[in-house]
Amino acid sequence: MSHTKDNLPKEEQVHITSYKDHFSTLIALLLLTVITVVISVFGANLRSLSVFTALLIATVKVIVVAYYFMHLKYDKKIYTWLVLIVAILFVSFAVLTSIEYLNR
Amino acid sequence: MEHTSAFSLPNSGHNRDAEASKMGMWLFLFTELLLFGGLFIVYMVYRSLNPESFLLASFELDVAMGTFNTVVLLVSSMTIAMSITAIQTGNAKKSIFLLYTTLGLAIVFLIVKYFEWSAKIHHGLFPGFEVYDNLPPGESLFFFLYFFMTGLHALHIIIGGIIISVVIYRTKKGLVNKEKYTLTENAGLYWHLVDLIWIYLFPLFYLIH
Repeated sequence: MSHTKDNLPKEEQVHITSYKDHFSTLIALLLLTVITVVISVFGANLRSLSVFTALLIATVKVIVVAYYFMHLKYDKKIYTWLVLIVAILFVSFAVLTSIEYLNR
Repeated sequence: MEHTSAFSLPNSGHNRDAEASKMGMWLFLFTELLLFGGLFIVYMVYRSLNPESFLLASFELDVAMGTFNTVVLLVSSMTIAMSITAIQTGNAKKSIFLLYTTLGLAIVFLIVKYFEWSAKIHHGLFPGFEVYDNLPPGESLFFFLYFFMTGLHALHIIIGGIIISVVIYRTKKGLVNKEKYTLTENAGLYWHLVDLIWIYLFPLFYLIH
């Protein structure tokens, strides 16, 4: 009854991320962090732009963490869909709150 | 059990379901995301009401310490992800070493946080102190949200540390191994969530120059 991971059907196979790939992901995340800090510290006179860029870069970092570290890339697509649904729920609530506030 | 059955089902004893465990963990993470999400919306509304005060108050925070802690958390996210690779390839020793590294980084994060908080508290910027009570309303709101949100986040770091310790213990006992590593994976997912929240907290509190 013992079957190795290799002869399982394709969707049952486990993807093992290499150490090298994890390291590359970290380098990407560190680079993005450096960019955010540099923009915010040296772009102080572009205030509104720096907030927007900081949030944009943060979102890119979150996507990288979720996709590679949290394994969404290799997991069943249902997880990605669930994450998207929760993200849409949150963003729409945030946007509706700001519209409500702006129309006061 | 009083009586044992005369026959056993083909899969008796197989009460593990890695996929269901992972799904359960993700569903829990969604509730966490919405908990912090609500706080981010509170932050957003109060900040749009008091843009200047939030900006002034944010200058009190130490960007260098915040950046250092961001790097610490990102590295710890990598080490816990690598500990999963290690256990999947059957290298329990390496997995334990990487989990200890993650735990160490969690402690470094908390120590830095301790120094940051004590500096603010020393300056009386904590709710209940005279300096805090006499701040313009917008600035006290900033510090209130700063302490509440980073405090809740630090609590998650502590809980994450406890979970990682449990994984280390169970890996040492051989209960987590090459065939059964769902616990390591779920601890990893939780730890990454803690990292994700910090990725937003950091620019919103430290970098709004």
